[in-house]
Amino acid sequence: MIVISCRAVTRSYGTPGATTLTAVDAVDLDVEAGTFTAIEGPSGSGKSTLLCLLAGLEAPDRGQITVLGHDLWRLTATERARLRQRRIGIVFQSFGLLPSLTAAENVALPLAFAGTPEHERRRHAESALDEVGLGTSVGARIDELSGGERQRVGIARALVIEPAVILADEPTGSLDVQNGDNVLGLLIGAVRRRGASLVLVTHDPVSAARADRRYAMFDGRLRAAAATAAAGDARLAGAAGPA
Amino acid sequence: MILRHSLRLVLREPRRSLAAIVGIAIAAALITSVLLFGAASGNTVTRRALADLPVDAQVIIANGGTAAAARSIVTADPAVRAVSDFQLAHFDSAATNKAGTATQTSVGVLIGIDAGYTSQTGLFGLSSGSLQPGQIAISRDLASNLGAVPGDTISFSLPGGATVALRVSGIVSIAGADLLLGPIDPAHRAAGANPPTNVAIMAAGDLASMVLPRIPTGAVATDPGTAGAAGRGPATPVFAPEPAVRMELHVRLDHAQLPGDPASAQLWLDSVRRRVERQGAGAFTWVDDASASLEPLGADLAWGQILFIFLALPGIMLALALSRLAADATADSTRRHAALLRARGAKRPELVAVFVGATVLTALGGSCIGAVIGAAAAVALFGTDLAAAGGAAAILAAIGVAVLLTTLLATAAALLPLRAQLREEIGSGRQELQRNRPPLWQRLGLDVVALVGGVVVYVVAGGAGLHPVLNAEGNPTVTLALTSFLAPLLFWLGGTLLLLRIVGFVLRRGGWLAASLRRPLGPGGDLAARSLVARAGAAARAIVVLALAVGFATSVLMFDATYRQQQRVDAELTLGADLKVTPTGQVASGQIAGLSGPGIAAVTPFVDRVVYVGPEAQDLLAIDTATLPAVAPLADSFFAGSGAAAAMAALRARPDAILVSSETAKDYSIVPGDRLRIRVPDATGTLRTVEFTMAGIALEFPTAPKDAFLVGNLAYVAAQTGNDRISFALARADGDVAAASAAVAARLGAGWQVADLSTTSARLANSITAVDLRSLVGLDVSFAIVIAAVGVALFLLAGLADRRRELATLIAIGAEPRQVRSTIAGEALVVGVAGIGTGLLTGGLVGLTLLQILAGVFDPPADLPAIPLTLTAAMTAAIIVSLLVALAVADRGLSRLSVVAALRER
Repeated sequence: MIVISCRAVTRSYGTPGATTLTAVDAVDLDVEAGTFTAIEGPSGSGKSTLLCLLAGLEAPDRGQITVLGHDLWRLTATERARLRQRRIGIVFQSFGLLPSLTAAENVALPLAFAGTPEHERRRHAESALDEVGLGTSVGARIDELSGGERQRVGIARALVIEPAVILADEPTGSLDVQNGDNVLGLLIGAVRRRGASLVLVTHDPVSAARADRRYAMFDGRLRAAAATAAAGDARLAGAAGPA
Repeated sequence: MILRHSLRLVLREPRRSLAAIVGIAIAAALITSVLLFGAASGNTVTRRALADLPVDAQVIIANGGTAAAARSIVTADPAVRAVSDFQLAHFDSAATNKAGTATQTSVGVLIGIDAGYTSQTGLFGLSSGSLQPGQIAISRDLASNLGAVPGDTISFSLPGGATVALRVSGIVSIAGADLLLGPIDPAHRAAGANPPTNVAIMAAGDLASMVLPRIPTGAVATDPGTAGAAGRGPATPVFAPEPAVRMELHVRLDHAQLPGDPASAQLWLDSVRRRVERQGAGAFTWVDDASASLEPLGADLAWGQILFIFLALPGIMLALALSRLAADATADSTRRHAALLRARGAKRPELVAVFVGATVLTALGGSCIGAVIGAAAAVALFGTDLAAAGGAAAILAAIGVAVLLTTLLATAAALLPLRAQLREEIGSGRQELQRNRPPLWQRLGLDVVALVGGVVVYVVAGGAGLHPVLNAEGNPTVTLALTSFLAPLLFWLGGTLLLLRIVGFVLRRGGWLAASLRRPLGPGGDLAARSLVARAGAAARAIVVLALAVGFATSVLMFDATYRQQQRVDAELTLGADLKVTPTGQVASGQIAGLSGPGIAAVTPFVDRVVYVGPEAQDLLAIDTATLPAVAPLADSFFAGSGAAAAMAALRARPDAILVSSETAKDYSIVPGDRLRIRVPDATGTLRTVEFTMAGIALEFPTAPKDAFLVGNLAYVAAQTGNDRISFALARADGDVAAASAAVAARLGAGWQVADLSTTSARLANSITAVDLRSLVGLDVSFAIVIAAVGVALFLLAGLADRRRELATLIAIGAEPRQVRSTIAGEALVVGVAGIGTGLLTGGLVGLTLLQILAGVFDPPADLPAIPLTLTAAMTAAIIVSLLVALAVADRGLSRLSVVAALRER
């Protein structure tokens, strides 16, 4: 079953009269249920923009995006928000945690937006934190946690809604290799256990290598990794820094 | 080079610059408009003081001089608009003999005027009858004293012993002519000598042919203080004797040439006097009545200056606070720009110089724009008065002061946070906002120090004792010492900082806040509370700006309402009650029952006689203590050492009881229980010595003049003098005063004059605060509303800038648009409720302090301040609407937030 479908999706930036930058150029993509899809590419290749388009955070100039059977841009803003709060988990490179909240409160935020009663929120948040190995840090303040722990809180927040799809934007980009590997393993394991789909954008070929399907993105264009290996691998290998 | 970089920074960060400029411009506009209000008020006071003056100057022809020669000199002066002839002859006594009964009264004056004099000056209008050739029209007092009516003949005894008999053809009003009829000797005038009330008017030609030839050259007028003191012999005159005959020219000046400022106006009047007298070379003397009218304005203007201090200080505080809020709102872009310049190799001193330069340029730009807007608003509101008060020069001066003051203060306010912003990178800068360490002023306790300092200065300087004092010339003046400015400044500064400390303290303990906001606003409310706790310092500043704006408006509204309340009390005091009914003929105290009827709730008889305490003439107010309290307003503050009820009880306790003014008690060293011998006129006008017992001190009393007066029992005075004629009756309306006035006038018909409160209130609007206060209140409240909107908008926009990533994250993880919006609305709600609540409270306190310190503005002082509930509610509603506008601005900023761009920010 296809959970995410993109057809000829294009997104450009620029003002009239100025140079236009096409961040996502006529992208076609299908993501099947229960699979791990990786999108590789150097900084500025458009992979983060594509992820935001898939999350319904950015409107495409052209093309159609269907997620879990919903044509995203036929939904209202509130309906898109509800789709994210109930079916789509998002993991950010820089964690996206609110420093004024505790770890458990951060994890419980999507449930709060969905109107889940407080005691249930707390139970689900503690369970999610336990799953990522932070069962003892429920009441911890964010600035008391290490980078790896913060990203685990971010993953717990994505998992707490029992999502059908998780979109992860460079989740290991701010971590050292060891920590990054552990966090990614944690994320893949949790997604596999739930039978959910994971879309990971990364500039790291090692991380991408763990995916069921790999795509490469360059200058806004998306290609299957095998087809682009000859033209892009040398540049991908040399690319560094965040997307 | 630095300047170029600074200018480039201002231009390349338009949002940063605009936020700062708007905040500073509002403060500059407020200060400029308040300064120009001061200038305009000075002019209004001058115009108002001279508007009702029928004659600006009296030219007294010297012995041997001629009116024609003087007229040619006077009319040639470019400042003179019109000149009228006026002749005055004193008489020693006047008598009638009707049906074998002789009635006599004491001194007075015969006036000779041209036919056009009344139409030109508005003086000596006929109340009844007419002025026939060879006959006279007499004042109501002369008619009352002699029982004379048109058709009777009055025999006048003239100085030098001759008499002249003149037939009465009408009754004339002498209202407004006190200054012209009184003595011209300066010392005599300064002592506030009572003008004659026995006055007869006749044609100038008739006076010249029928009266003047009978008065010997060089004769002098009888001193009224000695008149009627039969058997005692004349007292030694205190002042120079008045000539028995005065030949005068009455001059009206071109008021369009008059400068607006009272001090400049007096200089101009002096220059006119010197110019004309120089031309006259001793042939005449110029008596400057216009200057005399301007002199008492010194006290009004001094009070006005104190009022301005209170109105300008909040403006200065708001300038500081708004500039700081603007700095908060632009902190993020400042840090980013600093990081960019640092990356390009700029060293710290260069960085500081560029940002300081940009801050000064922004402050200067905002100040200039605001000052021009403030000047435009002031011109729209007070245009005519401003033009006369110096026009362009006054406006430029106000703009200059406002620009200088606002630029300095705004620069200082913006530089304080800039220091921290330049020190840190963006990430650590964000942490800086969340620091737990209190700012330096809190650690030093500057708020408490300023408040204690204010109290010390207030007590040491006798703040509560800032009342007008009489100067050597007998005019009320107020000396403004530096301490007059210092105490209010310290109060405002300390109060603002203390409010900042308290609000910050409460916000930082915000657990209750999250619970309170979660219920109405859901998770967005919870997040708003967390955000407020995290940004407690900035939130406290926004709340304080709002509180200052609301407090400022509330205190001004309260002051205005109290002033209007006291203006009505003043009118009631001057008139005596809702209605004052004066008979043109003789009416005994027992004959006023006819006044009662529809529209009238209560009536009381009232006698006002000029009596003599030693040589000093004073007004004796003889009242009926049984009926007066139900008719006339009697406040406790009218009486020293006792309330109104106690004072009336003291009068009732013994028939000969008398209340004296504090001045009389002090001059004669008398205390309650002491006996007083006072000369009171009987029915014939002859003074009789009557004994009284002092029962207390009256500071104010209905109908009483501002100087010395006495209050006694009407029945006792009537019995002792054999004269029970009332001067007038006072009445309280049973509902609408104007309707009651019309009903009484219709019921009584001719022979009575009815005056009511509404006409008196309009005539009394003579103080600086009465003049433009309504416009000023409107202006200040408008500014308060704009300041509230801009202050809260700046805070919300600063929050948006600070929380861009946080808000983008919330959207990404599924916050619905209304939930994101409610995080902003929650902040606005807390800032709005806290700001308006504390503002109303502090406004009330400031209003009370203002009323206490400015007690001298009110005559009489207010027992209780007036609370303008409707206006305050309307102002609060307008501020709530302005907050909704600010929220809409922030919401628009939120809707334009690029989630993708914000998520990429570090």
